[in-house]
Amino acid sequence: MGFLLTTLIFVAIGIIASICVRICCNKGPSANLFHLTLVITATVCCWLMWAIVYLAQMNPLIVPILSESE
Amino acid sequence: MAEGGCLPTMDLMRSEPMQLARLIIPIETAHRAVSYLGELGLFQFKDLNAEKSPFQRTYATQIKRCGEMARKLRFFRDQMYKADVSSSKLAYGSVITLDELEAKLGELETELIEMNANSEKLQHAYNELLEYRLVLKKMGEVFNSAQKKATTQQREQEHRRVEGSIDSPLLLEQELATDSSKHVKLGYVSGLVPRDKSLAFERILFRATRGNVFLKQDSVGEPVIDPVSGQKVEKNVFIVFHSGERAKSKVLKICDAFGANRYPFTDDIRKQQQMITEVTGKLSELKTTIDVGEHHWRNVVQTISHQFEQWKNMVKKEKSIYHTLNMLSFDVTKKCLVAEGWCPVFATNQIQKTLMQATVDSNSQIGVILEILQSKEPPPTYFCTNKFTSGFQEIVNAYGVARYQEANPGVYTIVTFPFLFAVMFGDWGHGICLFLATLVLILREKTYSSQKLGDIMEMAFGGRYIILMMSIFSIYAGFIYNECFSVPFELFGTSAYACRDSSCEDATTIGLIKVQNTYPFGLDPVWHGSRSELPFLNSLKMKMSILLGVVQMNLGIILSYYNSKFFQNGIDIWYQFIPQMIFLNSLFGYLSLLIIVKWCTGSQADLYHIMIYMFLSPMDDLEDNELFFGQKYLQLMLLFLALIAVPWMLIPKPFLLKKQHEERHQGRTYEPLGAHDDNLGPESAGGSHGGHEEFQFGEVVVHQLIHTIEFVLGSVSNTASYLRLWALSLAHSELSKVFYEKVLMLAWGYESVVILVIGIIVFVFATVGVLLVMETLSAFLHALRLHWVEFQNKFYEGNGYSFYPFSFDLIGDDEE
Repeated sequence: MGFLLTTLIFVAIGIIASICVRICCNKGPSANLFHLTLVITATVCCWLMWAIVYLAQMNPLIVPILSESE
Repeated sequence: MAEGGCLPTMDLMRSEPMQLARLIIPIETAHRAVSYLGELGLFQFKDLNAEKSPFQRTYATQIKRCGEMARKLRFFRDQMYKADVSSSKLAYGSVITLDELEAKLGELETELIEMNANSEKLQHAYNELLEYRLVLKKMGEVFNSAQKKATTQQREQEHRRVEGSIDSPLLLEQELATDSSKHVKLGYVSGLVPRDKSLAFERILFRATRGNVFLKQDSVGEPVIDPVSGQKVEKNVFIVFHSGERAKSKVLKICDAFGANRYPFTDDIRKQQQMITEVTGKLSELKTTIDVGEHHWRNVVQTISHQFEQWKNMVKKEKSIYHTLNMLSFDVTKKCLVAEGWCPVFATNQIQKTLMQATVDSNSQIGVILEILQSKEPPPTYFCTNKFTSGFQEIVNAYGVARYQEANPGVYTIVTFPFLFAVMFGDWGHGICLFLATLVLILREKTYSSQKLGDIMEMAFGGRYIILMMSIFSIYAGFIYNECFSVPFELFGTSAYACRDSSCEDATTIGLIKVQNTYPFGLDPVWHGSRSELPFLNSLKMKMSILLGVVQMNLGIILSYYNSKFFQNGIDIWYQFIPQMIFLNSLFGYLSLLIIVKWCTGSQADLYHIMIYMFLSPMDDLEDNELFFGQKYLQLMLLFLALIAVPWMLIPKPFLLKKQHEERHQGRTYEPLGAHDDNLGPESAGGSHGGHEEFQFGEVVVHQLIHTIEFVLGSVSNTASYLRLWALSLAHSELSKVFYEKVLMLAWGYESVVILVIGIIVFVFATVGVLLVMETLSAFLHALRLHWVEFQNKFYEGNGYSFYPFSFDLIGDDEE
């Protein structure tokens, strides 16, 4: 699906999650900032893990060699 | 303290602002005020009487009284345990004062002790009578049978005597006659002896009296309660016939030595019967008395049990109130108490309202005065956590409590800790199992929080939200690694790899080729089980660990920037934050860049070679290892930057600190002495460290040297330390693969239901025991270590102390 497209999907999910959290528990500016930080950190961590695994498979130097029994 | 710029402050990022307050409380309000403050739980009292010993303090007698009452309550609890009565949870009952409670407890205690003593005496007498009855019965039988034999023998003898009167010699007659008058009276001793000692008893009697006694023993069918020890013992009834006074004393001594209880016995049959009826009557009387006594005792214990919890809580509260009152100091005029303590700034209104309530309730004319003091002492650190964040805050505090108002790593730990755990645990099957387990704990929160759990269960329950987050991230990581109990699935489309040609003959020698776009989400499912799986995965996971590590360490250094900005420490920003960023990123940031470029271009450059020769021979040409244009010049520049960053961190800061110190103390030497004393007064009382007038240049230089060396060497070792993410992830996937293939699949291959069932059971136990328990703990520990050392040593001081307010909820059960 392409690296950029999926990255945009992650960004969109992050924004939707922050909006949901803001709607569900709106407890003052300091608490909102805290929740926003948590959501952004989680989104960034998840995206990072996905991006690393995706990039590593884009131009592989090793190819899968099937084992004998297949 | 200034705000952190234009951003509003974030919850939990820094400690709540605290203030030192002084309360001046009139004596009649003191007890009530402290009690209400305990209910509120937001004031930490400072001990103003620290030099006094516990016995010199004002309220020592009160505390002793509370201690006595606590002891009596413990005694009641033992009685309740003996009666098998549990204390009811309902706290009903009238409100009583401490004095009334003391009197009541004293009364109940004497009553219970009396009842216990009486019942013991009665029981002792009862057991003795039981034994006596046994002796009477058994010996009665013995005597009766002996009597019958004697009468038959006598009749025979008389018969013989009558028959042989002429033939027998005269002397023999005379001998017989005199023999009857010379008969020494036989005495006897009867009683009970424990069965296991009976043989020894017999032997010693025989030896001591030279065989001149006759012992008859008879065993008692069932065990008898020994009156002395109160336990059931198997016993034998015995009767010893002896002649003479010396033998008698010897027998008595031996009986005593063996713990044999002696009871009197008559050989008269009528008297025996009389004794038996008498004893039986006494026994039934005693039984009823004992039963009535026990009933009464049980009633008393029952009434105690209804109010036990209430009394216990009251005594605990009063004891803590008096301990707190002991920390206050008497004012000179002796009409009020002075308290000093820390409280959060946001709680000021609440505290004032509470104190006003206390004044009103105790009908006092004078109100309590609340005064805010300025102090150089470092305040305690207070984070307002809820049930979700408190677990994470606790694991951060386990390493060190944050200094007052420094950045709290707990904020990021809430996400990064479960994330790093998941990198090491990635398997969505195991993740779902963990998720379901914690869901149980969370859904039954209310019941578990009121119960008392065992040690391990309590830790698991306290960390339930942490484990929940860990499981959610593990499910995500499991989808990325494409592992569910080590089985891959094609959930996001087909694999990107296919055979080179339609015959697939070199699939097992040269391998497949990539024909489509990269697999969209996670690891391609074709890798699992292939021969080149490990080289590929190892390379991927190692590089992932380095990348994640560099990101987290950069976050740490950025947090140190925010700390320096908050504390307005410009020196730290220019001479610590910037060179640290430059050093870390010019080496390991560059390595991360190389990794990403290599992945994007697919070049065959050797990154080890590049990094090592960047240092060894930076001027050499790169040839095959060139990843992008201008790489050689970029490397030279980065090397140069890294090299100047080290003296940048090391040298300027001590000199600047010295200059700063001199500027601050320039005008001070000409202050009048009075002002100087004022400064020293509260400082010495508070024991603060803000009163340093000396600046040790040598120490500062050494400190900075150590810090620099630690950072420089640490940047290499910390980056390498993140490779444990790869190591544990490899271990987890290999273990789960072994359990799946060698247990489950092996059992499946046998075509037998029994072996399949055994295989499933072994698989379940191995998965739960090794993977779900041991691997979870292991990954938890390593993720925690990565946070505590590699992340936190970039910015965290952690030498503060926690806010521990006087609160009735926080007083634990120290007796249980």
